[in-house]
Amino acid sequence: MEFANFPYLSTILFSCVVGLLVILVIPAERKMLIKWVSLVFSGIPMVLSIYLFFAYDKAQGGLQFVEKVLWVDSMGIYYFNAADGFNLPMLMLTGIVLFTGVLTMWELELRVKEFFAFTFLLVAGVFGVFMSMDLFFIFVWYDVSLFPMYPLIAIWGSTRKEYGAMKLTIYLLAGSALILPAILYLFVNSGLNTFDIVALMQPGVFTPFQQKFAFILLYLGFGILAGVWPFHTWSPVGHVAAPTSVSMIHAGVLMKLGAFGVLRVAIFLCPEGWQYWAQLMAVLATCGIVYGAFVGLAQTDLKYVIGYSSVSHMGIVGLGLATVTVDGLNGAVFQMFAHGVMTALLFSSVGYIYEKTHTKMIPELGGMSKIMPVASGYFILAALAGIGVPCLASFWAELLVFISAFKTYPVRGALAICALVVGALFMLRVVQRTFYGEKNEQFEHLPDLTFVPGIPRMILAAVIVLFGLFPSVMLDVIQVASVPFINGLP
Amino acid sequence: MNSLTTYLFLAALLFSLGIFGVFQRRSLIGMLIAIELMLNGASINFMAFNRFLAPDPIVGQIYTLFIMGIAAAEAAIALSIIVAVFRRLGSINIERAQELRG
Amino acid sequence: MTSSWFQDPTLLAAMLGALLPFVSFVLIMVFTRPYPKLSATISVAAVSVSVICALFLLGRHWHLEHPIQYTTKWLVSGELYVPFGFMLDQLSLLMLTIVAVISFLVQVYSLGYMAGDPGFSRYYAFQSLFAWAMMTMSIAPTMLQFYIFWELVGLASYLLIGFYYEKFSASEAGKKAFVMTRVGDIAFFLGILLVLLNFGNLNILDMNSVDVTARMSPALITLCAILIFGGVAGKSAQFPLLTWLPDAMEGPTPVSALLHSATMVAAGVYMFARIFPFFSKSATAMTLFLAIGMITMLLASTMAMVTRDIKQVWAYSTISQLGFMVMGLAAGSYFAGVFHLTTHAGFKALLFLCSGVFIHAYETNDMYEIGRQGGRGLKIPMVCMTLGAAALSGLPPFSGFFSKEAIMGGLAGLHNPIWLWGGLLGAFLTAYYSFRLIFLILFPSKIKEPHHGEHGGHGHGDDHHHAGLYWVMAWPLIILATVTLVLGLFQTPLENFLVGHYGGAEGHGGGHHAWLLYVAVGLALSGVGLAWLEFGRKGASQVGFVERMEPVKTLFAERWYIDHFYRLFLDYVIYGIFSNLFTRNDRQVIDGGIDGICRATVGGGRMLSFLQSGMLQYNLMVMFAVLALVALYFFF
Repeated sequence: MEFANFPYLSTILFSCVVGLLVILVIPAERKMLIKWVSLVFSGIPMVLSIYLFFAYDKAQGGLQFVEKVLWVDSMGIYYFNAADGFNLPMLMLTGIVLFTGVLTMWELELRVKEFFAFTFLLVAGVFGVFMSMDLFFIFVWYDVSLFPMYPLIAIWGSTRKEYGAMKLTIYLLAGSALILPAILYLFVNSGLNTFDIVALMQPGVFTPFQQKFAFILLYLGFGILAGVWPFHTWSPVGHVAAPTSVSMIHAGVLMKLGAFGVLRVAIFLCPEGWQYWAQLMAVLATCGIVYGAFVGLAQTDLKYVIGYSSVSHMGIVGLGLATVTVDGLNGAVFQMFAHGVMTALLFSSVGYIYEKTHTKMIPELGGMSKIMPVASGYFILAALAGIGVPCLASFWAELLVFISAFKTYPVRGALAICALVVGALFMLRVVQRTFYGEKNEQFEHLPDLTFVPGIPRMILAAVIVLFGLFPSVMLDVIQVASVPFINGLP
Repeated sequence: MNSLTTYLFLAALLFSLGIFGVFQRRSLIGMLIAIELMLNGASINFMAFNRFLAPDPIVGQIYTLFIMGIAAAEAAIALSIIVAVFRRLGSINIERAQELRG
Repeated sequence: MTSSWFQDPTLLAAMLGALLPFVSFVLIMVFTRPYPKLSATISVAAVSVSVICALFLLGRHWHLEHPIQYTTKWLVSGELYVPFGFMLDQLSLLMLTIVAVISFLVQVYSLGYMAGDPGFSRYYAFQSLFAWAMMTMSIAPTMLQFYIFWELVGLASYLLIGFYYEKFSASEAGKKAFVMTRVGDIAFFLGILLVLLNFGNLNILDMNSVDVTARMSPALITLCAILIFGGVAGKSAQFPLLTWLPDAMEGPTPVSALLHSATMVAAGVYMFARIFPFFSKSATAMTLFLAIGMITMLLASTMAMVTRDIKQVWAYSTISQLGFMVMGLAAGSYFAGVFHLTTHAGFKALLFLCSGVFIHAYETNDMYEIGRQGGRGLKIPMVCMTLGAAALSGLPPFSGFFSKEAIMGGLAGLHNPIWLWGGLLGAFLTAYYSFRLIFLILFPSKIKEPHHGEHGGHGHGDDHHHAGLYWVMAWPLIILATVTLVLGLFQTPLENFLVGHYGGAEGHGGGHHAWLLYVAVGLALSGVGLAWLEFGRKGASQVGFVERMEPVKTLFAERWYIDHFYRLFLDYVIYGIFSNLFTRNDRQVIDGGIDGICRATVGGGRMLSFLQSGMLQYNLMVMFAVLALVALYFFF
């Protein structure tokens, strides 16, 4: 461990920032150079985040790779990064999705420089939220990650892109308008004059009333980003409008940011508020699961279908968080990871199909398996992961969430489990209409995914299968954080 | 007659005329002239206070000189704006320049 | 577990047998998809190893005293411990062997049947996936692992039914199969969750032990049993989830033989047997299962009486035989149910594979058409199919006779005679529809091509086949036919092997009733006789008595309108009410509400913007007025 003091987390964060700056310096005409630079600077975080995931000392537990520097003394703001069992999967997810997202956009021609610059800004914010242990920085990074979505969707998007971008921005800013007062409320009432989460999460810092009040604000604020029913409508619209890699990052990572915010800020700081509001969270989450599946059944746009499946799957995350149990937390964090990879794969496959056929309307497609078997194969794999086929990553997450939910809330848990049938129905319906059946003559000449553009999909598919076969690799890390946390609850 | 009040009245009159002119004139040149009137009103105030009240007589005169300098600069900028407006709208009537209407 | 696993031959064999097909699946999917020959070789090689391992295990543990378990950690979360492992006892060894042998035979047969298909590699990949999932399921030590691989088996079934995905009906059938079994699986999942939460353990041996009654109330056990039985109903196509199986015949015929008759659909019955002691703790649930089994058996038999599609007949008969097995188990005769599962796997795979030869040769599923084109000319399949049909009808001395008699014996032991009469009626109908098919092919009313012999089935037929391919397909038939012939004679050794362990749970119901033997065989023979009268004899009308009654025929052909009911339910309730309503709610209420807020904001801005006239002098005047007011406020 001679590298024990190497600032891994800051390196991850700043390789995005440096990547952004380097891209800004390169002239816009040199598109290939920009892409290579992006690939290098997105590869670094991926490699490092995977390394951190495996280098984390599970026996020791707690916060590791800590970097803590006092930034503003008078307000107790620290530049405080650390890794624990909750954020390591998220960091790895972000690294993988960023890298594969950059690769997916390899064919991009329109305003390449700006696109990758905004992407790096977005991801820098995401990494910042995931690794920061300081409320102030969490909020700052959170807003940093929200802003670039607007130009990314409005410039490079499709299908009502201005509307989608605007809707998304308004929703998410409304969310942060709830978060900021809650953070300030907590800061003022703690009496500790610090934004340090570790200091603020000590028991007894906040009264139960304060926790209940702050929790609901934080839950709703971050929950909007996590697609909590009924604040979810921005997400399908935004997914549909966004370009492929942005959809991947958006659905794969950004929605997790909301759920992670609920966990890291709301649940960590207000555990009593959490227990108080858990009933409500379970109701909203169950509604989301059932509702997302049913609405997905009626969609004709491939990306809308995936958007609503995200609503349903994020409901599972919410349900896991609502159970206040170790299994629930484990399942929720695992589901965040699994769903991130799975949706990224779905969107990247749809992106390929859209790129070639210029349509993503299900009735216009059909028989795609014949025309592009490899691209279809990836989509089908991800769709199967989505309906909870065992030995694919999300099955385990759903299993844990359902076990704990069924234990804590039998009726809501049973309802959510029954929604699996509808989920299977709507995913298989899409697969059937899009990939099976008579092939469309019009698309017959289109090429299938070749090896090099297949790499990002291959990485994502491999991650889904590997974590499906060996779930304990993931769970052993999450466990280290969730067990002490639940045991330490008042 | 030769009291502070007289000069203050004169200055107030000039200033009010200037304000009235700025509000009432529809021509940008007219408005510019009216602004010059307001500045002159202020200058007279400075000179009058300088003459009757100030222990150090040089300060008010320096302000007045500044005002004259500023007035010159302002006239130069304003005239160039007016020329630009004229080129764009073919008129210097202020009623034509309403692109900022909500 | 550092070096012991390869020193213990049992564990090594179990691991190799169960996991090699998975390796072959991955290899084919990732690397060898473009090379069909290589893919098939890999897959068949893997499954051959499985057969050898399974037979080795069966032989080595023929006198097994206690179940052998190997488990390793798969997942730990909080207090939940999910192991992955193998549990070898008599039942799982038997099932492992059945699955491995039939998988092997079917894969060999498919070398001929699927030759030249564009999806050849894909086919073998899915076959390997199935073999892996099914074998790992068979030897699962816990219900959770059982459930996991149960789902994977369903996935393989989905993929293989929809193998010809260009055909709408095939992909539709695959989807239907997956969703319908999913419905049952949800109940199954809820059931095992209930057991997990109340009993705290999903180990199959523990669930079967007497501890359960101590820790769970009888009502709870009944509830769990019924929920878990939902899985059986889904997978084994029991009433009311039975209609997916006939549609599943859209898959290639070898797939129908392997998955949808011999092994996968029998998984439900296998599960019943697996946790038989648990189920038998609830008498209420057992009675319900008995009723479901009987309804299924009779419904499916009636459907089989009117269809013209050769595969459909066997599909319905599979459903009805599965119902019969469920009846046997639910009647308390553990051995009878498992024995019938074993014999059925043999003769039903045989029947399907024979039909496959006909379908392959004449490219039609219609049995009238096959008969007309001279189907009886194909000697080996014709003889084998007749043997299979005789076994299915329960005629001595074929294997089906012994297992059916065992179940009848169990039914006779029940107090209520209705179960026995139901079973006997089922046996009669089975014999009738099986031989209807045989006679239709054997003695068609008019033959297109002239034949050498009238009745013996001597003729040509092999000429238009590639000889090698034909033999690849014929050998599995011969092996299976042999098994069908001799398996019945192994009843006693098998019974000793199986029941040695569960001795206490076996209720023979007062031993054999001699009259029952004659009645059952008599009914089967009269079924054959009726079929002969209507279809077989010279100048027979070849119209069954059911087909003469138009409404009844329609009712049977439409599968008692169960499918219509589901279709309507889906269209009106799921799509029409929930999906539609929620979508509208999403678009109009939630989205509309948000958009309304946005529009109100924009509108408010527009209202206020009237104040912004753009007239420079008004702005100035307002500024002046405000400044003046501020000045007034501060000075006074």
